Amino acid sequence: MQGRSMSTTSNALLSLDGVCVAYRQHEVVHDVSLDVAAGEVVALIGPSGAGKSSLLRAINFLEPPSKGRILLEGREVGGTRRSLDALRRDVGMVFQSFNLFPHLTALENVMLAPVHTLGVPTEQARDRAMKQLAHVGLADHADVKPSKCSGGQQQRIAIARALAMEPKVMLFDEPTSSLDPELGAEVLATMRTLAGEGMTMVVVTHEMHFAEDVADRVVFMADGRVVEVNSAGKLMRDPKHPRTQRFLDAVRNR
Amino acid sequence: MSVWSEWQDYLPAYLDGLSVTLKLTGVSLLVGLPLGVALSLALTAPAKAIRWPAVLVVEVGRGAPALVVLYFVYYGLPQLGLTWTSFVCATIALGFTTAAYTADIFRAGVNSIPVGHREAAQALGLSHWKELRLIVLPQAIRVVIPPLVGFCILLYQGTSLAYAVSVPELLSRAYSQASITYQFTTTLVLAGLVYAFVSLAAVALLRARWPRRSAARTDVAVPAGEPVPTAR
Repeated sequence: MQGRSMSTTSNALLSLDGVCVAYRQHEVVHDVSLDVAAGEVVALIGPSGAGKSSLLRAINFLEPPSKGRILLEGREVGGTRRSLDALRRDVGMVFQSFNLFPHLTALENVMLAPVHTLGVPTEQARDRAMKQLAHVGLADHADVKPSKCSGGQQQRIAIARALAMEPKVMLFDEPTSSLDPELGAEVLATMRTLAGEGMTMVVVTHEMHFAEDVADRVVFMADGRVVEVNSAGKLMRDPKHPRTQRFLDAVRNR
Repeated sequence: MSVWSEWQDYLPAYLDGLSVTLKLTGVSLLVGLPLGVALSLALTAPAKAIRWPAVLVVEVGRGAPALVVLYFVYYGLPQLGLTWTSFVCATIALGFTTAAYTADIFRAGVNSIPVGHREAAQALGLSHWKELRLIVLPQAIRVVIPPLVGFCILLYQGTSLAYAVSVPELLSRAYSQASITYQFTTTLVLAGLVYAFVSLAAVALLRARWPRRSAARTDVAVPAGEPVPTAR
């Protein structure tokens, strides 16, 4: 109970309180607690199978936590249908494989949720969507189907689609892992801009430069647990835990 | 006297039969397709209490020969106090078979949508119903049409089973002609040609309306090995 009262009284925008994720009986994330302040960028790094993506997906209940609580602005979310709807409105998500809707144009992809989730009138939603597409530098691709866009463009449309909901937090699940370095760079540039504008972001990534340069804090996970959390500069340059050191050495000596 | 030399005399009977055949096909589809959609949704429902009855209906519908189902409705149900005309019986039996077969086609269409698209819809806060209506169904329909057309053509040919319960459809008209003239070979060939003509025309019309998807559409998975069957 001690831990719970601490996270509810903190002024974190997003709090994870003792979150566990299990697939059937098999637990892949063990008891993670983490506070993310408004405007903060947190990078989740670690080896494959560490539970980073599972943890991220637990935040917006794509993988409902098997134990623990998610709090948004101090309120527990996701437990009931209504609070799940509120959670999904306030938390945007960007996937590794973009997951744009192939039967809709870029603009229609971005307009869809404002119209059908928020009930924004179509004309207003169109303006909003155009603004977001311009924001990611793709206003000229509004009427193009995703299949005609490069991977980098698709991912930027996906970012615009999430932003059109005007979320309080953006979750990124390895947003550049299925892109070649050049296309990945244009996505990272977009994310950098967002971070600069003060968007609160939680980013699962293998891009160590991005973690070091853009993130405020870095969380290192291994075997389903948080091993080390520190400011980006300290964790990346001066890791305390041997497991973190081993991981960073391995990544850098590739 | 030959069917070939006097085919004009026989044609009106064939066309009458054909119109009954087409009516039977159409009504069976009207009954069966909505049921098939409903069954496919039940097949993918999370609740076992909904899923298992649907599985049972589909397996019985696909496992039992259509003729057995037809006889059951026509001869079996009257013993339970349910009596209908032969046309209605044929509609019920073929509608049931249609529902069972197309349920599986629709389910395959729904399952062909990458799970990531559905997760993206959920992450955007769309309700389950909107996720189905706006994301899943528009994509699934493209996957479903070729096998569905194939099934419709098989059903159209399958209506000839209704001959067994004396619905005056194409085959029974041809058969009664033949039983007068004893020209079974030519009569049945002619009936076969009428079946084939309509099947092929239907395929041609659909090809014109839905040309084969170009390679550009690689973002929608179309199951391989599902060619549109042509009449045999």
